[in-house]
Order: sequence, then C-alpha cells, then structure tokens
Amino acid sequence: MGQSLIWYLKEFARIEWIKKFLFAKTAPLVTPSYFRGFPEPTGKICQNALFCMMVCPAPGAIEVVHDEDGWIPRIHKGHCIRCGFCVEACPNGILKSGRILETKEREGTSLLFSFRIAIDLELCTGCGNCCTACPVNKVIDAQMGAGGHSSNDEVIMRVQEGDIVVIHEDKCTGCKTCEVSCPTGAIRIARILEGYQQPVQEESQ
Amino acid sequence: MTILQRIKNKVRARSIHVAYVDVGSCNGCDIEVLACLAPRYDIEQYGIFVHNNPREADVLLVIGAYTPGWEEKLAMVWEKIPDPKAAVAIGNCPISGCLFNRRESFVDPPVKKHIPIAAEVPGCPPRPTEILQAILSVRDSVFANWEEEHP
Ligand code: SF4
Ligand code: SF4
Ligand code: SF4
Ligand code: SF4
Repeated sequence: MGQSLIWYLKEFARIEWIKKFLFAKTAPLVTPSYFRGFPEPTGKICQNALFCMMVCPAPGAIEVVHDEDGWIPRIHKGHCIRCGFCVEACPNGILKSGRILETKEREGTSLLFSFRIAIDLELCTGCGNCCTACPVNKVIDAQMGAGGHSSNDEVIMRVQEGDIVVIHEDKCTGCKTCEVSCPTGAIRIARILEGYQQPVQEESQ
Repeated sequence: MTILQRIKNKVRARSIHVAYVDVGSCNGCDIEVLACLAPRYDIEQYGIFVHNNPREADVLLVIGAYTPGWEEKLAMVWEKIPDPKAAVAIGNCPISGCLFNRRESFVDPPVKKHIPIAAEVPGCPPRPTEILQAILSVRDSVFANWEEEHP
C-alpha cells in the first residue's frame, strides 16, 4: 500500500509535467499575412475613379481625399468591415489586403460596373440640359447646341423632335452630372455591379 | 512605489475578471469573444477569467450598437463594477454602429456617449487575438499603479 502510494507520487511528480503545468503557453499568435486586414495603400497613384467608394458596403468606411501628394483613399477603422471589395474593385490596384490582388490576378476575376439611364418621360420637358451637361457627350459632339440636338449618332443621348432619346447607354461613366443638371429630376442613373471571371483558355490538343 | 502596490500590481496582472454585455449586435462579435475561451486562444493562460457578473468584474466588454432597450441599463451594469475598472468596445458596432447605423434606425452609437470606454477594437468582427491584445493593454494602462494614481 505504502509502496504503491510512493510509486504514484513519483509517477505524477515528474519534472516535465510540473513544468508544463506551470509554464505551458500556446505559441504566440501571429496573424498570418494572408488574412484580410484593413486595406493598405500599395503606393500606386490613385486616379480618383471612386470605384472603391461605390462598392463599399459599410457606411462611412472609405473616403477618397486629396492631400499634398494627390488623391488617396482613406479607410476608417471602426466602420470598415475588412470585406476587401474596395481592393478588388479598384482598377489601378492601389489598395492591398491579404492575398486579394494575387488571387484576382491568378483567377482573372474582376468587378464590372455598368450604368442604366432611366428617364421619367412624365417629368422630362425635353429641355436637353442633360445632353449638353454630359461630359461624354461633350467629347463626342463638341458642337451640340443648348437644346441637346445633335446630328451625331455616337452620343449617349440627344433630344429628337422634343423628346429625349438614349442611344448609347453603354458609354455612360456614371458621373451623374446629368442628374444634377436636370431641372425636374426626371433622369436617374443606376449603377449595376457584377462579378466577372475571364473564361479559362482551352488547352490546345 | 510601495511594496503593497507592487504586490497588488503583480497579482492584478494575473487576475483579470471579464464580464461581457451585448447591447444589440448581430452576434458575430459574441462568437469571437467566445473563441477567446477556446483552447486555440485560451485566455485563461494570461490570467483572464470570464464570469459574466459585473460585481466580480474588472473589465467590461461591450458588444453591439446600443439599442433603446439598453438606456439606463448599461450605465447600471457599469456602476455595479467595483473600481478599478475598464470598458472595452468590441467590434465596429459600439464604435460607429456598423451596418445598423442607417437613417431612421433606432440604435444610438457610439457607446462611449453612455459609459467611458478605455479601448476600442475595430473590426466586424475583430479577431480573437485583437480582443486579447485590447484586454491586455487595458490591464497595463488602467490597472497598474491604480491606488497610487487615485489616492
Ligand atoms: S474593406 Fe470593405 S468595408 Fe472596408 S473600406 Fe473596403 S469596401 Fe469598405
Ligand atoms: S451619368 Fe454622366 S456620363 Fe452618364 S449620361 Fe449622365 S452625364 Fe452622361
Ligand atoms: S434635363 Fe431632365 S427634363 Fe431636360 S431633357 Fe434631360 S431628362 Fe428631360
Ligand atoms: S461589429 Fe459586425 S460582427 Fe460585431 S456585432 Fe457589429 S455587425 Fe456583428
């Protein structure tokens, strides 16, 4: 009896066990580099395309501001949810977070923006302000007059016989200048965002 | 520094008692706080214990965007905690209201309007390591030498 008790004590009082009991710690936890953190600048130059602000789902998380070095997106911690959409949407790759940019490159994924122009014909007076205000129209037809009339078929929209006609919706860049210039609030621009992946090239046999 | 203060610092650094309160969240942050208890992160190895009783607590973790039901109640919980004490805001919700802070919504963030907050952990949700770091940092900044700084 006495002997077996001593045996048990000896068995359980192993130095390694006592050390482990007193000093064991899980290995220091480091955040792996591939975890998505708050987006950080890569140092490339921001073109103020604002795709990051357009795609961000969190209120007040990102803002593109102008400082002495030019435009730069600023991420607000406490608002940003680290989703990484801004990193993915930026056409110039000026933000980075985890391995989003590498994955995007490897998989050939991107986010496509397109815009729909909706005009409420009940409200539209056919004044043509939107057509003359549109910066894309200005480049295509510099001669466009105040009434929004144009003989150029390449413009986004023009006034024909008193009515507004949208011809090339696909050229719209979503600047919404037309919305601001419309006196009756008849024109609205909707942004459409879709995920896209480049088709894999078939291996030649 | 008196010897008594030194002993208190030593003991306090290894005995932080935590209570948490959810003032209206999506539960994402609650899950991350729960993950701190799991063996992977194991907060007890740092001498941090979760009791969820404000009378025993040193640190209050506040989660959520502060819904109207918590008016008065959160301050009551805060007052029940004996000094020295610190509140830590966990996640975007108590800092900004996160996605709940929309027009016409009822939440009333930030929580620091209602009780004093010693540290904020941004993220939606923040990682358990970040939560741990925040608790350890208030331990060092609020509890060390507390008696000498508050005579
Ligand atoms: S990571 Fe997501 S939430 Fe944060 S700024 Fe970018 S888009 Fe917004
Ligand atoms: S949003 Fe801009 S580009 Fe598009 S139609 Fe209006 S003014 Fe033209
Ligand atoms: S500015 Fe407004 S009212 Fe004038 S043509 Fe354009 S949509 Fe119609
Ligand atoms: S910060 Fe995000 S994860 Fe945490 S409670 Fe709020 S919405 Fe949920």
